[in-house]
Amino acid sequence: MFELDVATRHIRSRRRQTVFSIIAVSLAVAIIIIMMSMMSGMLSLMMESTIENQPHITVFPKENEDYIHLYHGLEKNILDREDVEAISSYFQGEAALQYKHSAEGVLLYGINPDDENRVVNREKDMLAGEFASLANPGSRIILGFKLANNLDVGIGDTVTAQIPGAEPTDFTITGIFQTGTPVDETIAFTNLERLQDFYGSGDVVTGLGVRLSDVYAADTIASRIDMETGYDAVSWIEQNSDILSLLKSSEGLVYLIYIIIFTISGFGIANILIMIVMEKVGEIGMLMAMGASRRSIMLIFLLEAGILGLTGVMIGWILGYVAALAIAAITIPIPPEMYFGMDHLPVEIELKNFITAGIFAMVINTLAGVFPARRASRMDPVEAIYSV
Amino acid sequence: MSDTYIIQIKDLTKIFGNGVEIRALDGVNLNIERGEFLAIVGPSGSGKSTLLNQIGILDTPTSGTILLDGVDVTKMSDKQRSITRNRQLGFIFQYHHLLPDFNALENAMMPLLISGVKSSRAREVASLMLHEVGLGDRMEHRPNQLSGGQNQRVAIARALVNNPSIVIGDEPTGNLDTKSSESIYELLRKLNREHKQTFILVTHDERMAAKTDRIIRLVDGRIAANSHNSV
Ligand SMILES: Nc1ncnc2c1ncn2[C@@H]1O[C@H](COP(=O)(O)OP(=O)(O)OP(=O)(O)O)[C@@H](O)[C@H]1O
Ligand SMILES: [Mg+2]
Repeated sequence: MFELDVATRHIRSRRRQTVFSIIAVSLAVAIIIIMMSMMSGMLSLMMESTIENQPHITVFPKENEDYIHLYHGLEKNILDREDVEAISSYFQGEAALQYKHSAEGVLLYGINPDDENRVVNREKDMLAGEFASLANPGSRIILGFKLANNLDVGIGDTVTAQIPGAEPTDFTITGIFQTGTPVDETIAFTNLERLQDFYGSGDVVTGLGVRLSDVYAADTIASRIDMETGYDAVSWIEQNSDILSLLKSSEGLVYLIYIIIFTISGFGIANILIMIVMEKVGEIGMLMAMGASRRSIMLIFLLEAGILGLTGVMIGWILGYVAALAIAAITIPIPPEMYFGMDHLPVEIELKNFITAGIFAMVINTLAGVFPARRASRMDPVEAIYSV
Repeated sequence: MSDTYIIQIKDLTKIFGNGVEIRALDGVNLNIERGEFLAIVGPSGSGKSTLLNQIGILDTPTSGTILLDGVDVTKMSDKQRSITRNRQLGFIFQYHHLLPDFNALENAMMPLLISGVKSSRAREVASLMLHEVGLGDRMEHRPNQLSGGQNQRVAIARALVNNPSIVIGDEPTGNLDTKSSESIYELLRKLNREHKQTFILVTHDERMAAKTDRIIRLVDGRIAANSHNSV
């Protein structure tokens, strides 16, 4: 294959220029691998955090009703379904919490801690105290850590809950939790029965949280519950549809950025090939005179683009891998309560990102080679030979 | 007939130009015998290079036919033309057009590699050819490490390596001093005798032309004289 011979010689005799175009490609590949790895990391972190910190399905009261009255029957109905792992009924109400001179508006959740822990593992979020302490129907309360900070309270302190039309009631703090989400500032948990008492609602709940074994079955199961029971069942996918669609649309934007970065590196390759073609006019004419077909001439320059591109891609893979590892290893000094409690940048090194970046780069580099290669292959041999 | 004449040119006309017409060749008729050593001379712009490029199937005529070994090359496809150039024709130009990134041996091998000969075999044949043109001791040198005359010898080895039946040269010594020109001419003449190949050379050098078998004189795209030398 003389085409490959000629192509490699052209590249080797132009070491300095080719090095630059290879660097451009490898930087592009590396940058994109880093971006993709961080995107993957961020995405799976958000998914994980969403799936772990929310019920997979939440069942709300029927339209125009405030409560689910016969919730024990509904619990049994839902628990009997396939893929349903656990269920937790809750009573939710707004209240003001007061401690000395400070007061904060909160959402009070009355739950049964064993049930709740099975649906969303609250125990793992506990900074202090135990979530299970709410099993006792006494006046106990567990606060988010920011809320506790705002009220300037700690474990053992007593806060006063107030709602319109009820006697203010004291709750003793038995735990403080931290999720790294806005919930830390707005939510407090109490015992379900105690809260029903406090609101004087009787044995009713305002919702049911459901945990599934297959999180992606949530939509189907939710709509089935919806249809069969008449209650309003919402899956986590539906509940987060805004974020999910935002992620989807930002993905499009990210791909646009990839294309721009690769196009810039592709221009580097096109540029050097155009230079070589212009410099080699006489040679190209002579190759044609010697019987090299137009296809062979085309192949020579496409091979050059391919060799430059492939070298760039392989170096870029290594650079990207090393850089992604390095970034993943850096501990970032952000307060842990921000960004889902992470103290590292979320980097997920996935083979598919390397393959995507590689293919992407090779396609664009080959396209970059097409124009100069066609130009070379369409030369008139006579003009080329006498062009000196 | 086609046994004696390796090249038969009939009414060959080549018109260049859009707008202003230039008749570079105007009804050329010419038969060339196998093994002839032929010179084409004429004033600048008379159509010598144009005629040579037609014979070399590097260009297509406006009208007329060229038979190489009895085959009409004006009707060939692009691909057939490439193959014919590779198998039947050898080219030497004023500028050697060696590939600067390859050494002398690799340059001489190139036509063989293009025709698909294995590189070990191509190496053998090309090395013999380089010895024949007197460059046996310069095979590893690159063009920029060789003199003008030496480069032209490499170009000659390259033109002959595929054992073509026709070798065409457009002022092959045009870039060389008198002494190197003469030795290149002697080399071509020797190769012509040894290989029995047909040589067609365009030259401005009347003394050199006088030493060929026949001189074709072109004026304004027509053959003005066709005279055999008696050597
Ligand atoms: N590609 C072209 N386009 C237009 N005109 C051309 C082209 N090639 C050659 N000509 C014209 O055709 C005529 C013959 O040119 P050609 O190159 O064959 O001359 P020549 O005899 O080789 O001259 P020289 O001795 O200077 O090399 C000239 O008038 C030239 O200007
Ligand atoms: Mg000329």
